[in-house]
Amino acid sequence: MLDRPLRLSPDVSVRPEPFGALLYSFGTRRLSFLKDRRLLDVVQALGTSATAREACATAGVTPEQLASYDAALVRLLRTELLQEVA
Amino acid sequence: MSDTITIEVPEDTTADAVELVELVAADLLVEDVSIDGMCGVY
Repeated sequence: MLDRPLRLSPDVSVRPEPFGALLYSFGTRRLSFLKDRRLLDVVQALGTSATAREACATAGVTPEQLASYDAALVRLLRTELLQEVA
Repeated sequence: MSDTITIEVPEDTTADAVELVELVAADLLVEDVSIDGMCGVY
């Protein structure tokens, strides 16, 4: 997942919060909580990063944390909050 | 603040168990809520 180019789905609204963020998809009516502020930074960096790995590096994710963030990005992709760039 | 948790997976762990561990790790950072049926909420 980390080596794929990802983007926030166009029908998703992001609301930063002190705990992380709320993501709401107007398409799936799914509300998701990002429980880590750095994950929000990763999601926001996806738009200007070639890969998810690059977005994680931009957000300051350490190598030890990459697995957790990878799993979170997979979940966001499966729930259609993120999409892979063609 | 995020929590850092190290999850050690034994070598003989099945693929299903590994996937479960990955889901648990994902749950630490992402929580999904369905709001279907919440008509009338403004």
